[in-house]
Amino acid sequence: MANPTGPLPASVSIARIRLWSGLLVAVIIIFALRLFYVQVIRYGHYSQAALSDQLKQYQIPASRGLIEVKESGNIVPIVLNQRLYTLFADPPFIKKPQTVAKQISQIIGGNPSSYIHALSIKGTQYSVIANKLTQTQSKAIAKLQDPGLGTQGQDFRVYPNGDLAAQVLGFVNNQGIGDYGLEQALNPQLAGKPGMLKAITSVTGVPLAASRQNTQIQPVPGDNVVLTLNIGIQQQLQQILARDYKTTKSQGLSAIVINPYNGHIKAMANYPTYNPANYANVTNSRLFDNNAVDYPIEPGSVMKTLTTSAALNIGAIKPNETFYDPAHWVINGFNITDIKQDGGAREQNIASILALSLNTGATWMLMQMSQKGNTVINGNGIKIWHNYMVNHFRLGQPTGIEQGYEASGYVPPANLNDPSINLRYANTAFGQGVSITALQLVAALSSVINGGTYYQPTLVNELITPTGKVEVNRPKVLERNVVKSSVGPELIPLMENVVKAYLHGGFSFMNFPSNYIVGGKTGTAQVARPTGGYYNNIFNGSYIGFVGGNKPQYLVVVYNIKPAIPGYAGSFGGQPVFADIVHMLINEGYITPKN
Amino acid sequence: MLFANRGQLARRRTRATSSPAFAGSQSNGDRLALLRRHKPDHWLIVLCAILLATGLMVIYSISPALAQTSGVSGSYYVERQILAIVLAAIAFFVTASIPLERWRRSYKLLLGFAILATLVAIALPVNPNYPAHRWVRLGSLSFESVDLLIFALLIWAANFLAIRLKNGTINNFKKTAYPLLIVMLVVGFVVAVTQSDLGSTGVIVVMLGLMAYVAGLPLKRIFIFGGIIALGTFLAIIATPYRRARLETFLHPDTNCQTTGYQACQSIIAVGSGGFTGLGLGSSVQAYGYLPEADNDSIFAIFAEKFGFIGSALLLLVFGALFYRIAKIGERAPDDFSRLIVFGVLIWISVETVINIGAMIGLLPLKGITLPFVSYGGTSVVFFATSMGLVYQISRYGSHVGPDRDRLKLMERISGNDYSGHRRRFGGAHNPGFGGRGRTKEA
Repeated sequence: MANPTGPLPASVSIARIRLWSGLLVAVIIIFALRLFYVQVIRYGHYSQAALSDQLKQYQIPASRGLIEVKESGNIVPIVLNQRLYTLFADPPFIKKPQTVAKQISQIIGGNPSSYIHALSIKGTQYSVIANKLTQTQSKAIAKLQDPGLGTQGQDFRVYPNGDLAAQVLGFVNNQGIGDYGLEQALNPQLAGKPGMLKAITSVTGVPLAASRQNTQIQPVPGDNVVLTLNIGIQQQLQQILARDYKTTKSQGLSAIVINPYNGHIKAMANYPTYNPANYANVTNSRLFDNNAVDYPIEPGSVMKTLTTSAALNIGAIKPNETFYDPAHWVINGFNITDIKQDGGAREQNIASILALSLNTGATWMLMQMSQKGNTVINGNGIKIWHNYMVNHFRLGQPTGIEQGYEASGYVPPANLNDPSINLRYANTAFGQGVSITALQLVAALSSVINGGTYYQPTLVNELITPTGKVEVNRPKVLERNVVKSSVGPELIPLMENVVKAYLHGGFSFMNFPSNYIVGGKTGTAQVARPTGGYYNNIFNGSYIGFVGGNKPQYLVVVYNIKPAIPGYAGSFGGQPVFADIVHMLINEGYITPKN
Repeated sequence: MLFANRGQLARRRTRATSSPAFAGSQSNGDRLALLRRHKPDHWLIVLCAILLATGLMVIYSISPALAQTSGVSGSYYVERQILAIVLAAIAFFVTASIPLERWRRSYKLLLGFAILATLVAIALPVNPNYPAHRWVRLGSLSFESVDLLIFALLIWAANFLAIRLKNGTINNFKKTAYPLLIVMLVVGFVVAVTQSDLGSTGVIVVMLGLMAYVAGLPLKRIFIFGGIIALGTFLAIIATPYRRARLETFLHPDTNCQTTGYQACQSIIAVGSGGFTGLGLGSSVQAYGYLPEADNDSIFAIFAEKFGFIGSALLLLVFGALFYRIAKIGERAPDDFSRLIVFGVLIWISVETVINIGAMIGLLPLKGITLPFVSYGGTSVVFFATSMGLVYQISRYGSHVGPDRDRLKLMERISGNDYSGHRRRFGGAHNPGFGGRGRTKEA
């Protein structure tokens, strides 16, 4: 009988199995201790490490304020927002670039092969495939549920009127910050306050379900800005500049139409210009400049309107006064002359100083400011004229208009120790040796025409807050007694006379209907060489004038940079542009005629 | 009493003799006396089911994150895993019911299939996302050839060593150690070099080596093996840049967080941020794209993030219990072959578990090894279930005899066993239950 309890002959070592089992027990104990260390003792460290990866902070962009104009009582937006989407890929997650490229091209068009490179690019987790997708397209991309594709919304400015007031408006760069023009100057008001979202997210940044760490602050939208611009005048002004840019063979045209009684800009334009919707494709960044406010030039004889105003104001001259013009003055050893066509030395009056644009006449006015009845320039006159230019007419400093990059220009200091200060200041009397912007010129003359109040020129009519509150931008007086109220009415006929003189001189386009008053002044300015002195064959043409019925309603300024048309730059480059603008204003019914 | 027992034994003997599993494998009458079919160890099923359910629960809870990062529907992973579990259950019971002797006889067929599958995997063009020749794809089905290879090698090695033991040639270098070494080198070359799967190579080498060790291969040989393995591993790491990078990453994890150490860093962050009690079942953040292979190799880290120290320690305990049950079954296995099979399965499962968890908690380098029964993935689940089926079958025939057992105490145990109701709650009549009550009694 077999012994049922005999030892098994199994020779596989149970002791060795137990050694392995014991080893496993030891390993499991080590693992448990390690888990205790990682999860309990070092919990703070690892939970912080997790949060620093997982907790992401996002700015929620505030929607940018609109830019609007008033048109027959209604508010019409000229700059709107549209949310567009950037399509990007996380290439390591793109499994089949060919298939994905095909899917993308079915949604947004384009050749599939053009997307493959961006989809399969190595060494990056963010590769932009296409820009400016619509919301519909973005949703279609999301429906693909491809973990390697994502879209990112961003507000883009939309310009329903194309290049209307482009340089005045400026644009919003791809960081969402206003650049140039109003967008830059009013960026704080337009931008609003971005909100914030702090959330635990997936690795691709998609916020996960609400947790304790998630916090959200709502964004505050920006204010809407209602401009002073008259959209009709603005459009027509731009057409005129585009046309006259060619006819005068100009290198740059700028013009402003302003209401002298409150500083409201009705139109402001430059040519050449650009379409702000395509600012990114503009290669010449100088097209972004609003030259009407950021390009000071030596204005030339248009300055004589201000010289006359100052001289009239202090009683140095009288509107109907005559004087003997020697046709040249020698100042600091330098000849100041008139042009031969003006007839040489003879008796002249204030009207003919402006109509013939006599530099000797302007110099004579400065002499009268120095010492009435004499023909010398002294420190007294220089100080008075400097004071008028800088403090009364506010030349050589920014006006504070709501524009980016406004320039200040330059007025020479009244440094009486300068041996050639007399010549320097004689030059400023007829607009040389001093540089000012078109806006500074027109704002200064506005203060003379309106009776002596310098209003800060402005483009903003009102701000409308997100809650709908309207903040009216009241006219801001920067200088109350620029000149006496009597000076304007004295200057107006003198400037009307200039227009008539040109009409009689054969400039038939200066013929305006008799129930309107139109006055003006040409300027042909020598252009300074960068190396010193002046070019003798390159000129800038300028023009300043007004148009109205019983009284001037708008002032118009034109700067024509280096027109190549033959003849004096002011008469042939600036004046016809002014005439076109005034004819347009009258013909389109923007001007109330005399009653 | 004695007679009754004897009668019982006699009855069982006939059953055992008729059992094809051991027919002809034993010549010793005393031995046969102890071979009787009894209740299998149901704890195996319970513990494996707990692990499978844990894995499925984690996969279910992170399926929105998986869907988000991989672009499939939310239920995709859960459905696939349920299908894998169903297949695994079928495989388990089929394996358990096919007599062990038949498995033993068909090792050549299995090896043939495994070699064929490996060759097919190497020959097939690779998926650009997993640029390693590891997968056999048949239509929509695919499996990793190496799992079949491990299974076939397990049966081959158990048979090989059992024969050597029976013939007494276990100490014969030419007949035992030499062929084993050749197999290891060939497998090492094919799996580690051609399939770039150093992790699985490690599992195979450790499994074969330890099977040889418990079979009684002299320690000197084992040391020679160990030296060769260490050298081979060293060469494999030095020769491939990505393995060098992984080792470098393992040695300096914090400095490589953004590059090669990304997964290692993210896994320990997941584990650590779970804290003592965990973030909760639905609150894993690391699964949302931070931790690669969240459903697969990294599932332990996600589990630890969700359930904290308490949960992960419990999971370790479940694995420990499973290993304990398998080890016990191995100790009681009726013959060398089945003992080697059980021990081989224990090594296979425990080594993969240790490599996987060790990597997740920053104690071992990352190896691309799944966590048995928990990780997502059909091949691994099905093959572990198959191997557990073998263990389950063997658990039916376990004796309580060990070489160190006193005969009388053994008899006492056998007879007592039939009357002690509390030992029969689960599994075998000879089950001491958790905690080894039987041992304390005999001590």
